[in-house]
Amino acid sequence: MRGSAWFTALLALALGVVVAFLAIPLVALFTEIPLRRIPSLLGDQVVRDALKVTLRANLVANALILVIGTPAAYFLATRRFRGRALVVTLIELPLVLPPAVAGIAMLAAFGATGLLGDRLARAGVVLPFTEWAVIVAVTFVAAPFYLRQGIAAFESVDPSLPDAARTLGAGPARVFARVALPLAASGLIAGWVLAFARGIGEFGATIIFAGNVQGRTQTLTLAIYEQLDNDFDVALAISILLVVLSAGVLLSYKLLSAWKSSAPTSPSAFALTR
Amino acid sequence: MLRKPFLLLAASAALVIAAMVPAAARATTVYAATSLRDVFPRIDGGMTFSFAGSNTLQLQIERGAPADVFASASPKEPQALYAEKKCGRPAVFATNVLVLIVPKDNPAGITSVYDLKQGSPKRIAVGSAGVPVGGYTRQLLARMRLGRVLTQNIVSNESNVGGVVTKVALGSAVAGFVYVTDGKIASDRVRTIRLPTWAQPPIRYEYCIVQRTGADRAGAQAFVNKVRSPRGRRLLDAAGFGLPRR
Repeated sequence: MRGSAWFTALLALALGVVVAFLAIPLVALFTEIPLRRIPSLLGDQVVRDALKVTLRANLVANALILVIGTPAAYFLATRRFRGRALVVTLIELPLVLPPAVAGIAMLAAFGATGLLGDRLARAGVVLPFTEWAVIVAVTFVAAPFYLRQGIAAFESVDPSLPDAARTLGAGPARVFARVALPLAASGLIAGWVLAFARGIGEFGATIIFAGNVQGRTQTLTLAIYEQLDNDFDVALAISILLVVLSAGVLLSYKLLSAWKSSAPTSPSAFALTR
Repeated sequence: MLRKPFLLLAASAALVIAAMVPAAARATTVYAATSLRDVFPRIDGGMTFSFAGSNTLQLQIERGAPADVFASASPKEPQALYAEKKCGRPAVFATNVLVLIVPKDNPAGITSVYDLKQGSPKRIAVGSAGVPVGGYTRQLLARMRLGRVLTQNIVSNESNVGGVVTKVALGSAVAGFVYVTDGKIASDRVRTIRLPTWAQPPIRYEYCIVQRTGADRAGAQAFVNKVRSPRGRRLLDAAGFGLPRR
């Protein structure tokens, strides 16, 4: 008995250290400046431009990820073929790749002197310093989060359900749209939440590949970096905005999944646990 | 049963962490403007260098960074630290001039700064307003009445002059404003276009010896002496810097 109490105390101590370590920096952000100054700081033209660029670029990137990523994930989840493990590994690689490496890789591929840069330029497509460069960078680093979760979500759909639909005469496209997709939905949304959060936070690849052009490629995280040297309070205000935004995304997803937890056929990354 | 491996694990984790906590740096630490990244290690390779925009370095030193010497691309930052009693009296040790650089293959066919206000918007790179090179660039363009260069083109603001050089060297930008010394460093990838002397703002590099508890004052003074020695001046000159009269 005594041994177990001692052990529990040890676990609680470890948890205390974890919570304090993770919470202190976040709390510190909010105590550095008076909170009532934040709205006026966020009214700065730099912040407004950065917010616009971030939201626009992420909207397009997320649309691309969902539209192309969903069928790709479905293919990988439902078909077995030679080299599948290799493809899955390739898809997962950007997850563990340092973002700076992603930025250099983008430059090497699509930069003006890069592998495809010349051909792209001749076709009239110049990516550096344009919003498309941000979209490309965000898509590259964020897509794997959705794809990985999407594959897992489709794989965990009980195979007897699509089979049943097929025996009832549904074609493969109909099975995908009416059976697999709804059943995998909560897992897909979880993956999308991760991808969205990663995209909003994207920094390394963007600053290397897309440049820092206000109103075009300067996202919120790039604005933080620039304002750090110019106006620390503005950098703080943007950081607070991003903390609130991230917490909002996480919380709304948790509430959503708790509310519609009636069909838990696929794993959820952050289900509310009681 | 359970406790032993746990304790062992904890002990080894503690050991690993203890071994990884960085030991106090012993070498003298020089915080220097990015434009000095090539010449300073030539003057004394035994120092620990931290290169960044001078304004960034000033901020770091104000927040207690372990610098011993601060070498800035403009007098503003060391003078501010001096006023805050964070460093000793600053002194000039070099000068510089601005140039325009373009990629070696010059895709936009730029031959003069005036080309930047003609034709379709061009992708150019400049220092951001807070970093010395960005301030000098804006002063120069204002003197030439070319302020529109920064509004009618697609302008990437870089946090230090190294960022400007990289953007041009890799062709992301078709032109950029840097110091003549940076044009030399990157001469295998960029071409330098001179800017009129009458429009040049005075560009003075100042150093100061950082005042904080635990600073290596002797090491800092020794480095400064090397920079101001005949050999140091010769290396600065070879790198393209101007030298103040002694």
